[in-house]
Amino acid sequence: MKPDRAWRLIRMSITALVLYALWLVFTASADLFSLLTGAVGSLAVAALTHGQFIAGHEASLRSFAPRPLALAGFLAFLIYSMYASSFAVLAAVITGRISPRVVHFRTRLNSDLARMVIANAITLTPGTITLDLNDDHLTVHWLLATTRHSRAAGDLVKGRFEERLKRVWS
Amino acid sequence: MDTIRTIAALVAFAVAWVFGAVGMVGLYRFPDPYAKMHASSLCGTTAVFSIMVGALALAPSWDVAARLVVIIVFFLVSSPTGGHIVARFAWNSGIDPWKAPAPPRRWLRRPAPGHEDGADG
Amino acid sequence: MLDATQWFIVACAALALVKLVFGSGAAERLIALNVLSALALAFLVIKGVDEGRAIYLDVALVYDIFGFLGLLAVARFLRDKPMDDDKE
Repeated sequence: MKPDRAWRLIRMSITALVLYALWLVFTASADLFSLLTGAVGSLAVAALTHGQFIAGHEASLRSFAPRPLALAGFLAFLIYSMYASSFAVLAAVITGRISPRVVHFRTRLNSDLARMVIANAITLTPGTITLDLNDDHLTVHWLLATTRHSRAAGDLVKGRFEERLKRVWS
Repeated sequence: MDTIRTIAALVAFAVAWVFGAVGMVGLYRFPDPYAKMHASSLCGTTAVFSIMVGALALAPSWDVAARLVVIIVFFLVSSPTGGHIVARFAWNSGIDPWKAPAPPRRWLRRPAPGHEDGADG
Repeated sequence: MLDATQWFIVACAALALVKLVFGSGAAERLIALNVLSALALAFLVIKGVDEGRAIYLDVALVYDIFGFLGLLAVARFLRDKPMDDDKE
């Protein structure tokens, strides 16, 4: 079998599996009719839309399949840092002392997916909002800025996420 | 078991109350749209997330709990997306971020009028 | 506890609605809209758990996935227009 056809088949089956898992969660029934309808529906939708779900130019499974343990660690750290920076912003609202600043820095992550995830993580934590993401160049509005040096600001804002994301998508 | 679940939900809802109230205060108090965006993410992300976690602790059956987990995962993706759309709209329409007024510098003469922008820091 | 949290969400939504109607500038109103949609999501979730009916959660999931599309449409629409009330 040609490699690109095999790759297409892999993408299609991954999409179908994800759709079927969601179907099982959302119908929450074990009827034969329900199971069959879900299987046929998810296969048909996967055949039509696997190109959108996993882009064809991704080099291999390695570049987007996350390591589950590292992904769980990243999620836990994301929720922890969301609460931690929420408390910082809470104190800023009460005291009214803010030092907002727009900082620019680059990320060292390679895949599009990882860059999207780091931009999302930066926006999710209150206190930092991604204004723009161009290839690897991030523009971030930082509410409680402590430095104006670009590299130091990058380390403070993204460093915690970046080293964990490197372990999720190598 | 029910007591533990009720206590966990109570803690989560209390956190949500605090963050929601303070986020609303910040939405009215902060000076410019970007800072208001941070305050609104306090109310619209952290408080809503806490409410969902509390609801997950109180979920009456397994199918409700499974749906809640899916909703929480999608919320972690969709909430920053909405915030980013608003932020990029503000950034592209040319709204300048508010800056803290520079502290008075006694050892320098005052900058000439019209050059305040280049002389901060 | 669930009732009190529902009333709290309603109070927050009312404040956000005031900001949405009387806010100054398009960006502030969009922020209020963003908060409002998140609060509606939280209200659907808590109502579904309160009544023990999963149908509310289905609605909440669809609202969650497609909630930002309205925001995107409004932002697109406003970007193409010259704005006169944008900078206060």
